[in-house]
Amino acid sequence: MTSNRHNGIFDGVDRGTVLLYVLIVLAGFVSIISASYDDSTAQLFSFSHFYMKQLIWIAVAWVTALVVLLLDERFYHMFAYPAYFAGLGLLVAALLFGREVNGAKAWFEFGSVRIQPVEFAKIATALALARVMSNYSFSINRPGDLFKVATVICVPLLIIILQNDTGSGIVLCSFLFVLYREGLNKWLCIPILLIGSLFIVSFLLSPMVLLLCLILVCTLSEAMMNGRWRSRIIFLAALLLASCLLCLIMALVSPGTLDLYHSLLIMTLAAVLFAAGYAYRSHLTNIFITLGLFVGSMIFLPTTDYIFNSILKQHQRDRILSFLGIISDPLGTDYNVNQAKIAIGSGGFAGKGFLQGTQIKYGFVPEKHTDFIFCTVGEEWGFLGTTFVLVLLCLLILRLMRMGERQEEPFGRIYCDCVASILLFHVLVNVGMTIGLMPVMGIPLPFMSYGGSSLIAFTMLLFIAIRLDASTRQFSINQFS
Amino acid sequence: MSDNESFLRMRTLQGIVLFIFAVIIARLAYIQLFDPRYAELAEANVLRHVVQYPPRGEVFDRNGEYLVQSRECYDLMVIYREIDKRGFDTARLCEVAGISRTKLERELANARVRPRAPRLVTSYIPKEDKLRFDEGNFRGFYTVYRTVRQYPRKIGGNLLGYVSEVNDTYLKRHPEYKVGDYVGMSGVESAYEPELRGTKGVKIQEIDTHGAIKGSYMNGRYDSVPEPGQYLVSTIDARLQLLGEELMRGKVGAAVAIEPSTGEILMMVSSPTYDPDELVGRERGNNYMKMLYNKRKPLFNRAVKAKYPPGSTFKLVQGLIGLQEGVLRPSDLHVCHNGYQAGRLKMACHAHASPLDLRFAVATSCNAYFCYVFRDILDNPKYDNVKEGFDHWKEYVESFGFGRKLGSDFLDEGNGYVPDRAYYDQQYRGSWNSLTVLSLSIGQDALGCTPLQLANLACIIANRGYYYIPHIVKEVEGQDSLDRRFYERHYTKVDPRHFEPIVEGMWRGVNVGGTSTMARLDGWDVCGKTGTAENPRGRDHSTFLSFAPKDNPKIAISVYVENGGFGATSALPIASLLEEFYLTDTIRRPYLLDYVKNMQIHYPVYDK
Repeated sequence: MTSNRHNGIFDGVDRGTVLLYVLIVLAGFVSIISASYDDSTAQLFSFSHFYMKQLIWIAVAWVTALVVLLLDERFYHMFAYPAYFAGLGLLVAALLFGREVNGAKAWFEFGSVRIQPVEFAKIATALALARVMSNYSFSINRPGDLFKVATVICVPLLIIILQNDTGSGIVLCSFLFVLYREGLNKWLCIPILLIGSLFIVSFLLSPMVLLLCLILVCTLSEAMMNGRWRSRIIFLAALLLASCLLCLIMALVSPGTLDLYHSLLIMTLAAVLFAAGYAYRSHLTNIFITLGLFVGSMIFLPTTDYIFNSILKQHQRDRILSFLGIISDPLGTDYNVNQAKIAIGSGGFAGKGFLQGTQIKYGFVPEKHTDFIFCTVGEEWGFLGTTFVLVLLCLLILRLMRMGERQEEPFGRIYCDCVASILLFHVLVNVGMTIGLMPVMGIPLPFMSYGGSSLIAFTMLLFIAIRLDASTRQFSINQFS
Repeated sequence: MSDNESFLRMRTLQGIVLFIFAVIIARLAYIQLFDPRYAELAEANVLRHVVQYPPRGEVFDRNGEYLVQSRECYDLMVIYREIDKRGFDTARLCEVAGISRTKLERELANARVRPRAPRLVTSYIPKEDKLRFDEGNFRGFYTVYRTVRQYPRKIGGNLLGYVSEVNDTYLKRHPEYKVGDYVGMSGVESAYEPELRGTKGVKIQEIDTHGAIKGSYMNGRYDSVPEPGQYLVSTIDARLQLLGEELMRGKVGAAVAIEPSTGEILMMVSSPTYDPDELVGRERGNNYMKMLYNKRKPLFNRAVKAKYPPGSTFKLVQGLIGLQEGVLRPSDLHVCHNGYQAGRLKMACHAHASPLDLRFAVATSCNAYFCYVFRDILDNPKYDNVKEGFDHWKEYVESFGFGRKLGSDFLDEGNGYVPDRAYYDQQYRGSWNSLTVLSLSIGQDALGCTPLQLANLACIIANRGYYYIPHIVKEVEGQDSLDRRFYERHYTKVDPRHFEPIVEGMWRGVNVGGTSTMARLDGWDVCGKTGTAENPRGRDHSTFLSFAPKDNPKIAISVYVENGGFGATSALPIASLLEEFYLTDTIRRPYLLDYVKNMQIHYPVYDK
């Protein structure tokens, strides 16, 4: 640390994080060798191999990391919004002019190099979110500010979903993690999570049940925020009674025109107006947030069936259904997951050894060097290898969170948390899908999966955090030395 | 937000991160350390067990000539997902495999159901076509070495039996077989299935996801080589069998020849027979159905299954029982004036000198004489009543091997039939006597014998009182001896000393004067007994029982020709020619050969 006085580019750089990063990248490289090594190709260093290409990408990524470290930290703060809009522009361009790969129109192609703008849009969104939330006047629980945050997250999310790349889009939802850290009321976080899971299973439930669930979740979370339990229970009972009455009366007046579900729907709309009036009078602004959430979900709910049946591709629907155990087809939809589990499971404690994995070598695992790279680790290095990699990733995420905590500026803290949450989500979904904990979503394992744009984007994402952290430490080091 | 709460939230999030990683690691620990299923599944993915079929054991005749050979042929298999997606030369494949395009398309549609599993497209591809197939290099298709049967002499269809792919019912009873295995379904093939079958081998290969073979697993440490089936040396004399089948052509019936000193079956003809090669290969099913619906039932092995009335040949047994029971002495004279008369019942006989003794009665096949003998046996004052006498008679008859399986190595041997007391009690409502069942004396009534049992009777008389269980296999590769039962002498309940007058009678019948003089062979002392079995449904059955020479007999033979007329008309010449050929290796009576070969018997019974 003593040599850090001269404001060199490595001053204040968190060496532990860089070390973890290098280890993870190397582990990924070793796995890519295993996954793409072919006995029949004699030349070890031929550029036809994926691992030789990956070597080049690693070099490019490290150069990128250097560039990121060279730039001043204020640069990121300044260019957060331009980067965000550039990212949106790229996403739209990909949507309009991009190339379709695996059903997702989310790629640019330059010769043999393919770039997925969504990887860079994540960085831009993280920067923009940090910028928005680090404003002096920002207060997360104020509806207006919350709306800004929601917009920053949801616009790219929508474009990505339109690109048919739902998996990558959902990554942005992981920013809830950051919102919670920044003080979002936990009785908003929990209903958001609950409603999110309601959407996943929505096509299993009748609209009636869904509506009841929504009303209950929203009313109860509001009650948890504001207290006043008695009035909320009366509200629920009145709502139920009124809709039953309406249904009965309509059944008497003109039978068959209004069933219970629609009566409830009508009464709920009336109740929403009533609740809004109540909130305005009693100055309980957080009710507006809950109401916004409720109405948003209400609008979204009828569309989930539509989304499920029209926007989601057949294979995505099947994946969700098979994950939920509704359909089972070991040779069809479940094939990938089953083969992934077989590869990992057959690794045992110590694995089969480097280049000895039969499931990988003989091609039973699909996408073995990209999305399913974790299977290679599991089969060839066993439980020891998988635990080693997971511990590295876990340490990296925890380290990022600690880096965030020691930032002086909220911008840096929020950005670090964003990076941690993106990494956490990727690891959870990617590793989870190979071992049957998560449905299959085509998102890569950070730093390990084969692919240039993913590696470079994650490197940039991480090193911006390191750069922001370094400037803080540089400052403090300079101060104390 | 206070610093305190901020800290709390940071800790909560750290907790969530740790929790997520803990869940993932726990799940990994479960599938990698505790659940053994995945390791097995991984093996199942990568390893393909390829069955190596052994060649089936061959069968030789007693002189070392091939009766059954194994010929290599190939099964064409397909693994659907390995087929070249850009298409392949279907016309050429169809032509090489000898199948129609529609069949290929049908099999491919079936294979598509389980695209990773090997599926049989067609069997019985000969070696030459297999080589052409190899040149074609059709991806996804491969051949499997099999052997099928081939019969150089084209003889012994029912005797040798046929081989076919195991069917569902067989699989249920024999779980050690797998779909696609071949198994002997009748005759020698089924009786000696465990010996002929051999042991399947297995080759374990590592394959990739496309099913392409990547090499042998663990350098073949767990592979096993198929062991060919053991060869059999049959007791059959191929040339005698061939002559027998030629002579029996155009007649329905059976002929069995046994070597009396060993019980070895020299020849076993069931007529009509078929070319065993017809039940091999692709046309097997069609030919089989054709034979199944053939009215003369070529698939029915008459030599061991048919129940024929023995006719006059049974008089030999009658005489022997009489002698043993003491109710008959060889010198006893009985009168016969064209038959036997008792009250209103009359048993006709042909014209011959009268009175006559036992030897002459055998030689000339006198009906009346044996009516006396039979009645004396049943009405023996030793026994309380005729039914007890009948029981004793039946015991004697069964000791000659009638009415039961002889226990040969032929699995589908028939019982024949010897009526018992209950049968007649039912038939005559309990009131019957020796007169009622008199036609038993000349081998008629309900009596049913298989040609094998009749040949065995010839052996018993040739051996003067005992027989070896007839068998069809002399030697099994790698085994020092056959089952013990084939080396034991089985004595009848008649003392050997009583056989001499009967043998004498049979000798006279051929060599001095009687019904069988045509069977005479100079210098060979042939003994014989004709039989003419009445038949309610047409012309009499013709049968002949013989052995030669009289002392140290080499061959005992029984020929049965359905609707053949008198014993001497059709059965005798056939038996005589066979004896001549077996004993002298030549046939010096071409006129008799022509006579037999030209004899075509008309069978209205089978033509309905």
